[in-house]
Amino acid sequence: MSNADFATAGRARWWGILAAACIIAVLPLIFRDSYWRTNLIVCALNVMLAIGLDFVVGYAGQLNLGQSAFYGIGAYVSTLLIMRLGPPFWPAFACGVAASAVSGMALSLFAVRLRGHYLAIASLGFAVITYQVLLNWISLTQGPLGIYGIAPPPPLALPGLPAIDFTDLANLFYLVAGFALLAYMLLDQLVRSPVGETLTAIREDEVSAASLGMNCRAWKVFAFAVGSAVAGGAGCFYAGFVGTLVPDAFFITESFTILAMVIVGGMGTLSGPVFGAILLTVLPEFLRGIGDLRLIVYGLALTLVVLFMPGGIAQALRVARSRLAGSSPRQTAGAEP
Amino acid sequence: MLTVALQQGINGLVLGSLYVLVALGLTLIYGVLVQINFAHADIVTLGAFSSYFFTHALGGGYLPSIAVALLVGAALGFLINAAVFAPLRERGNELLPLIATIGVSVMMENVMLAWFGPIPYAFDSPYSDQVIRFGGIFFTAQSVLIIVVSTAAIGLLYAFMKFTFLGKALRAVAQDRETAGLMGINPNRLIMLTFVIASALAGMGGAMLGPVLVLTPFAGASVIVKAFAIVIIGGFGNVEGTIIAGLIVGLIESYTTQLLGPGLIDIVVFALLLLMLAVRPTGLIAERREENV
Amino acid sequence: MSVTPAIFRASGLSKNFGGVRAVKDVSLAVAPATVFAIIGPNGAGKSTLLNLISGVHAPDAGTMAFDDLDVTDLSPHARVRHGLARTFQKIRLFKQLSVLDNVLAGFHARHRIPAWQYVWHGAAFRADRARCRAEAAELLTFVGLAGRAQALAGALSYGEQRMLEIARALATAPRLLLIDEPAAGLNAAEVEALLERIRVLRERGMTVIIVEHNMDLVMNVADRVLVMDYGELLFEGTPAEVQVHPRVIAAYLGAEP
Repeated sequence: MSNADFATAGRARWWGILAAACIIAVLPLIFRDSYWRTNLIVCALNVMLAIGLDFVVGYAGQLNLGQSAFYGIGAYVSTLLIMRLGPPFWPAFACGVAASAVSGMALSLFAVRLRGHYLAIASLGFAVITYQVLLNWISLTQGPLGIYGIAPPPPLALPGLPAIDFTDLANLFYLVAGFALLAYMLLDQLVRSPVGETLTAIREDEVSAASLGMNCRAWKVFAFAVGSAVAGGAGCFYAGFVGTLVPDAFFITESFTILAMVIVGGMGTLSGPVFGAILLTVLPEFLRGIGDLRLIVYGLALTLVVLFMPGGIAQALRVARSRLAGSSPRQTAGAEP
Repeated sequence: MLTVALQQGINGLVLGSLYVLVALGLTLIYGVLVQINFAHADIVTLGAFSSYFFTHALGGGYLPSIAVALLVGAALGFLINAAVFAPLRERGNELLPLIATIGVSVMMENVMLAWFGPIPYAFDSPYSDQVIRFGGIFFTAQSVLIIVVSTAAIGLLYAFMKFTFLGKALRAVAQDRETAGLMGINPNRLIMLTFVIASALAGMGGAMLGPVLVLTPFAGASVIVKAFAIVIIGGFGNVEGTIIAGLIVGLIESYTTQLLGPGLIDIVVFALLLLMLAVRPTGLIAERREENV
Repeated sequence: MSVTPAIFRASGLSKNFGGVRAVKDVSLAVAPATVFAIIGPNGAGKSTLLNLISGVHAPDAGTMAFDDLDVTDLSPHARVRHGLARTFQKIRLFKQLSVLDNVLAGFHARHRIPAWQYVWHGAAFRADRARCRAEAAELLTFVGLAGRAQALAGALSYGEQRMLEIARALATAPRLLLIDEPAAGLNAAEVEALLERIRVLRERGMTVIIVEHNMDLVMNVADRVLVMDYGELLFEGTPAEVQVHPRVIAAYLGAEP
């Protein structure tokens, strides 16, 4: 790709981000009832969780089944800090994010020699242990009874503007979606830099990557740190959004749900999981039926996508686009038959 | 004091032998296919439910219901291999099958939830109430049944793997699928056989676990987590290791329940698993193999 | 021991694999800007020796020095930063990535970008990208893959994949290049092209250690040859000396020495 092509692709991406920002700005104006605004916020949270996971699973190639744990750690650490020690929201937020990042790094360091399946199980084990700790350490977390009355982020006073009150769901949506967009941009920039090349190389073949000077261990830990930091951030917002914190919200099923969003959207594309998260959050709303039909749909979607279109929505769009353009979906330059 | 310790030891062995049944299925599949069937847990659950409905709804005997659960397990193993693992074999991505079976597992659990409801079923086997006394130790007939059936199943499997042609063929496929194929063994059929045996064991384990555990659609899930730990501690693909590890985990659980309470058992077992992964990922008994690149 | 300068020295290297002595007490010294060939019958331990030199396996005994720096305990990726690169006997390209992306991966240790510019792609980022791409294009031309930059690495022919692996290794700007059985599976024309490139690399000052089966290639390009058999050093000398050495002939033909 020539440098001119890069400039064009770069500009197209900025237009995409601008479009996303506009859509975010407009959505609460379209959906004025609190039910749908709540759903929008859940969408934004799931988008954060999904892109964080995609960074680890899709780019670094590490099957991380522990995302629910990092989500929960962010939520509980920030909430408990505020309630016990009383710092303002944003420093507590930073601590929650840091706690999740450190946990992610610890898990990765621990599992660093492990191949695919072992890592998956180790991360699952971590998620189970975290859940059991949240459930059983009653003096700290109040266990299954939960923590109630968690306040949303305090009003934000920007100079020259009236204070933004986050008890208003529209404002809370702007905050969470804004962070999701920022997280996306951060990850996108990383992925489009040599960092992304490094992670991709490690994903494809670690021995090869090491022979090119890549410290696979350090990079895997980095990927985990970033992916879990994003999840922790989502957790901090979750606490203030729902107002109640129970361990069941961070059961291992949540890990599978987020994984489903990544796979259905298309792992390793970053934009795919955004659509996967939105689709899997919104779709069950149109299938209002028996209680846990939602999870059956997730399980079915995950299985079918892996079997028939492992690249997810992103792959489907690529195929559709090239069919429309009239050429074959394969690479065109000098490919051997 | 000693009798209490012995009693818990017996309980631990009972529990352990059930865990071994479940874990053996996982280790067999991994040994021959280098894959994990995440839905293995749900086969255990469905085995338990099959046994329950056979006895409570159809009025069948408990012992025959174990056979029913075995058949149900076998059928599920057949289906999952045919629908998920066989088609994905060509792709070469080693993690896609695991992800697909996560989807299958989530589906199965929630279909069961929709169908059976979340309220636990009271699964009483006719043997749960009969108590046998040996010295100062009490066995329920159910415990004896479990130990007898499990030992028989495990023993048969072990003999099968070591002494029969099919068993050796299975081990050949586990070691080197291509060469085994060249020797005239059909790897795909053997893989299917492995799945069927592994899932049959799971179903059978479910039938016997039913009266012991809380029977809900998530019953298997509570066991699978320990089964994973057992397989890792014993070494993926290592039958002897899995047996020993399973009994150890059962004993640990039995002794820690008295000391720590049920909630912390998962933490202890998982901490042990993570410790194992850090120190010796290949398991207690397996040798470390370095590969030439 | 001779006093000639050596870019790489190994002394008493040994490696066991569960009871099998793959490499037993092997020592060697490689002079800079030369081609050093390691040959031997199948199972002689050549690939294991290469794995020891590149750091994939840790030796059970012995030491290694790269430019007089002790690298015995250095991990593979650290050795790359000192200027050691390698290819693999069984081709390990990133088959799902493009030819260009494979070569670009080799620049990993050579990027000149301040950390914050990985997030905000500034001028240094763009300059680095341009530099890497220009150099990648040169490397692809050098190995005869110019114009194939966008092809999928997995779609290349076997011989082309071998050359791509070499281009990718060269992207790390090594001073010592280890090539593992490059001629396997190549036709005569491809072997000749490979030979040419190794000669050019040597002229430019690169040191090459090549493990090879193909005697013609070895005799035509090597400056020194080390013969291994059953994990041990059988003989080391010039190609001419090796060709007439009775024990070497016996090892290859299987006769009693």
